[in-house]
Amino acid sequence: MALWTDPCAKCEELLQPYLDRDLSEVEMAEAEKHLEACNYCQRRYRFEESLRGYVRLAAAEPMSAELKQKLVALRTPL
Amino acid sequence: MSEVTPEADARRLAEGARDRVRFEEEALELSDQVYRVARRLVGSREEAEDLMQETYARAFRSWRSFTPGTNLRAWLLRILTNLNIDRGRRTQRTPDTQTLEEGDYYLYNKLEQSGETASDEERVVERLSQDDIVAALSAVPHDFRDAIVLVDIGDFSYQDAAQILDVPVGTIMSRLHRGRRILKAELAESAVGGT
Repeated sequence: MALWTDPCAKCEELLQPYLDRDLSEVEMAEAEKHLEACNYCQRRYRFEESLRGYVRLAAAEPMSAELKQKLVALRTPL
Repeated sequence: MSEVTPEADARRLAEGARDRVRFEEEALELSDQVYRVARRLVGSREEAEDLMQETYARAFRSWRSFTPGTNLRAWLLRILTNLNIDRGRRTQRTPDTQTLEEGDYYLYNKLEQSGETASDEERVVERLSQDDIVAALSAVPHDFRDAIVLVDIGDFSYQDAAQILDVPVGTIMSRLHRGRRILKAELAESAVGGT
């Protein structure tokens, strides 16, 4: 018996583990089969993937040269 | 039979010093990557810088407890997250259950609804500013944010993140899942207004 009557709801449930590559082969195939045919889910999957990349980029803040010097200064003197 | 001569003793000391120097160099080479994670585990640049200095001071002191050949970056982050917890965290509001019950398509749907026409995925993402992302991430409660920062920003596997935070892998997975939902609900609120 199918637990999910709405294939898009099932696809939504598979979104996170799909992007984390944490699905079984059967589930992966199921998600991909639905994605090929469903533009609605496809756009949301692509959005989520872009969002993750964007979060990574937006969160990046380089370390200051001053801090780097302070860390070097913590080394054990020779 | 081991022979302890002044020469053998000196050789042992020299080897120890060489191993220590190598350890310190490798740890420093990783400092940019460690900082990238540290910066988003705490609220401000100052806190991140203090935490980095405490972490490296402790790592240099206890370098002998690191097992060569294992993941040094994860080892450093384990020290850093423990120090961060020891410093005492502020209590954060508990996320309301409504945001957790929203599905994973929630943010996209909110952004799409707020646009005049449906735009492509990249353009929808572009409507979020860097400040929106940083603010939304800071609003995610610590336990959930730690998992997101380690896996999505620090590129650690579930297994490594579980070891760093000393929790089961299943806990990392559920915190990631809930944390990402909270993050998206926060983004929806800042980008579109209201959830």
